Amino acid sequence: MKSSSITSVSVKRVHIWYALIVFVFAIFVVRLFYLQIIQHDHYKTAAQSDQYKEYEIAASRGIIKAHDGDRTIPIVLNHQLFTIYADPQLVKDKKKTADALIKVLGGDRKKYENAIAAQGRYQVLAKKVTQEQRDTLLKYKLAGIGAQAQEYRTYPQGTLAAQLLGFVDDAGVGKYGIEQSLNKQLTGTPGELKAVTDINGVPLAASEDNVRKPAKSGNDVVLTIDIGMQKQVEQLLQQGLQTAKSSSGSVVVLDAKTGAVKAMANYPTYDPANYAQVTDANLFNNMAITEALEVGSVMKPLTAAAALDLGVVKPNSTYYDQSKIKVDDAVVSNIEEDGGPGTKNIADILNLSLNTGATWLLMQMGSGELNRQGRQAWHDYMSNHYLFGKPTGIEQGYENPGTVPSPTSGYGLNITYANTSFGQAMTATTLQMAGAYAAMLNGGTYNQPHLLESTIKNDGSVAKNKPKILVQRAVKPEVSKEMQPLLEYVVAKHHFKRKFSDAYSVGGKTGTAQIANPAGGYLEHDFNGTYIGFVGGNTPEYVIAVRVDRPKIAGYAGSQAAQPIFGDVAHMLIDNFNVPTKG
Amino acid sequence: MRALDQRRARRANMGQSTTLSRRHKPDYWLLIIALALLGVGMIVVYSISPALAVEKNANGNQYVLRQFIGIGIGLLLFAVAARIPLHMWRHMYKPLLLIAGVATLLTLLLPVNQEYPAHRWIRLGGFSFQSVELLKFAIIVWLAGFLAYRMERNLMDDFRQTLRPLFAVLAGVAIVVAGLQSDFGSATVIAAMITAMVFVAGLPLKRILMIGAIIGVGAILLIAPSGYRRERLATFMNPEADCMSTGYQACQALIAVGSGGMTGLGLGNSVQAYGYLPEAENDSIFAIHAEKFGFIGSVVLLGLMLALFARIKRVADRAPDEFTRLVVVGILVWLSTQTIINVGAMIGLLPLKGITLPLISYGGSSVLMILAVLGVVFQASRYTSLSSVRDSYIDRGGSYDNSRNGRRLRRAYNPALSSRSRT
Repeated sequence: MKSSSITSVSVKRVHIWYALIVFVFAIFVVRLFYLQIIQHDHYKTAAQSDQYKEYEIAASRGIIKAHDGDRTIPIVLNHQLFTIYADPQLVKDKKKTADALIKVLGGDRKKYENAIAAQGRYQVLAKKVTQEQRDTLLKYKLAGIGAQAQEYRTYPQGTLAAQLLGFVDDAGVGKYGIEQSLNKQLTGTPGELKAVTDINGVPLAASEDNVRKPAKSGNDVVLTIDIGMQKQVEQLLQQGLQTAKSSSGSVVVLDAKTGAVKAMANYPTYDPANYAQVTDANLFNNMAITEALEVGSVMKPLTAAAALDLGVVKPNSTYYDQSKIKVDDAVVSNIEEDGGPGTKNIADILNLSLNTGATWLLMQMGSGELNRQGRQAWHDYMSNHYLFGKPTGIEQGYENPGTVPSPTSGYGLNITYANTSFGQAMTATTLQMAGAYAAMLNGGTYNQPHLLESTIKNDGSVAKNKPKILVQRAVKPEVSKEMQPLLEYVVAKHHFKRKFSDAYSVGGKTGTAQIANPAGGYLEHDFNGTYIGFVGGNTPEYVIAVRVDRPKIAGYAGSQAAQPIFGDVAHMLIDNFNVPTKG
Repeated sequence: MRALDQRRARRANMGQSTTLSRRHKPDYWLLIIALALLGVGMIVVYSISPALAVEKNANGNQYVLRQFIGIGIGLLLFAVAARIPLHMWRHMYKPLLLIAGVATLLTLLLPVNQEYPAHRWIRLGGFSFQSVELLKFAIIVWLAGFLAYRMERNLMDDFRQTLRPLFAVLAGVAIVVAGLQSDFGSATVIAAMITAMVFVAGLPLKRILMIGAIIGVGAILLIAPSGYRRERLATFMNPEADCMSTGYQACQALIAVGSGGMTGLGLGNSVQAYGYLPEAENDSIFAIHAEKFGFIGSVVLLGLMLALFARIKRVADRAPDEFTRLVVVGILVWLSTQTIINVGAMIGLLPLKGITLPLISYGGSSVLMILAVLGVVFQASRYTSLSSVRDSYIDRGGSYDNSRNGRRLRRAYNPALSSRSRT
């Protein structure tokens, strides 16, 4: 019976053991009830806070188009590239991961290994990775390595109009130029994605709770710029600066009737695709609008037009020029080629660029002398007719308004104002000069200089940009008609390498502007060369403004450095851009 | 010559003991429940295979296919084991221990995989085998023989004869499995197996408490110097304190279980498998199951498990001899302890151990060995000891008609009880 008792003991003990298992299972069931029923909401919330993620879907930035003859073509496009990142917490095999990264992306092992070992959960490994590279890399299926699409601007025309266009920084914000001023329009509205995702943040398609609000792309914009014209203007500017031994300069071509900028070139420039490599931030500036300078004698036609408009002189008025005028303690004098004292008319003032003549015109505004009345009258024209000292409001970043001295307060107001009558002691941008000339020559309407022709919304609808008329009547229409032949006369009297055909109306004025010395007075040997002129048929078609900084070529900066560039651009426009003939 | 004689004598003795039991049809419920559990596991692995494909950068079908192959080989082993009479194992404990020992030694010498840097696996081609699974079975067979021999000679209480070798084995397991392989989970399973078998073998409770105390001290000695284990224990005490690093898996398991609710998210809707819960197909499969099928599904799974254990217990009850009973009990403890450790960890009642859920978890060596040992139980279920039938007959107040083999057993049952005497 002994073994039987052993057996019954062991069977009983099997039962005890089994009872123990049943007991533990009962606890498990109670615990499951607690977790799954009582605490269900708590864990559901915890699960969602882990699994439910919100994303911003980046909106495509609007593209920028410009004219190519009659059609418009893109000049700034988007290109999708990828940022490769690591979530170090999820990276399993560091060595294998680094190997794959080096193989696909190239680069330094140390850089990758450091990033993979870093603390944060988002470590950028490489930027601007191409689609092919990304696809190859993702084929390795490396845990914790992801790719994020990002749009970058591309420039099919290379450096063309770089400063006018500006660039888009890493954060997607437009900087300088059009990108800055039209940033709001170009930037779309980002979309939203709320979804249950896997641990890497990849949305699981199956989830019903997913919310998707698509991104709205930014508007496309069409510029008034003509790509072909811009290209040639940039080329002619660069050549002209080389000849004039100048390191920088600008050219603006304005539609005389509408204020539309057809070309706006600066030299030197930069490559917007590689903006990050630019060391001198000045290069980003569109100098034609960001730099105001003393414009020099190109002001004289505007002074003459103001006097004509005021009716204080007639186109055929004459006066006796003594070659110098004493103003308080200072003397206004002319360059040597003025022909000496003698009877002069307005055409002579412009042709010979007589400072004394400009001063005489100003004196006529003050009933024959330099006084407050004349200053105020001229100030009114500068500020309110030609809009110096005020930004034009063109679609560009960092526009410089320039300066106009006060006619009523300060020292030496008479000599200061005498100076302004021939373009010194005040500053204006190249664009402002072009705008003022256009107003003076087109019958007196100052149209806002503009680059934006139209906006194309996502739905394809086109909104034309209606440029503002800034001044209804800068000068009387008759004055415009009188000024055109006066400026034609100046061109006719000056030497151009290639003569202009009589079928076209071409006029203009040089300027050799003194440069203010920061230590006081003016620099002795450095001048800026300027030239503002027009080409057209019966009426001016294009206004061309040229500026050459400190040319080292012998002779006057205006006629030796700026005038040849004007000549080249004017010929180019006549040759290629359907300037109407007279008749 | 003496050894040979002894063996002959022992065999004769065993032959005698089988005459006291009746051979009959095996317990098919055992197989049916096991297949049902395999089916559940298969469904869960299959339904998360798209997630595994994404998170582990592998072909999802590969998991299903491998599990199929594992189960296929496992069922083959089941069939083979089901045909080997139990007393054959009793003589094979030496080669078994030798094979298990060599396999364990191999794992310690072979280079480790970077992903699982522990000396636990023998890798052959695409398959890996955990040597400790073999060791568990070898220990069961050896211990059952060892204890049965002593029970038969009434030596259970003898310290030198019984307890000293037991402590030696325990120490060996602690050093090799828990120490060198750092497989604390398996060491726990083995310790539970040994304790339960000794308990069932009739060791006085005093001695068992002593063994328990020694295991406890050993566990503390093993945990204390290992930062990794201390961390795991601390994590277990308060898992939600540090969900981002050490408590991550524990937290995610609780989230998976808790978010399942009453009926679960549905078969295809587990989110936690998408990389949130580590080892989703393996150690954490219960949490995924609970997320998919909710409280109801979890209880059904535990019910199936318990049903399987009940069938194994029934085989142990009716075992024709003590060796068989101890083997079956060892297997019962193996499976149940592993289930308890695994499920307990997933529901935050026990620390994480890195141990599979029998028959459910994906993983070749686990399912292979478990099906093999279930084959052993299946073989054991072919026999019913007459004394146990009589006991149950008496327990139930006279009728055992609901027994499948009632008719045959009744005929086999000999009212002359005295002939049952084994001594």
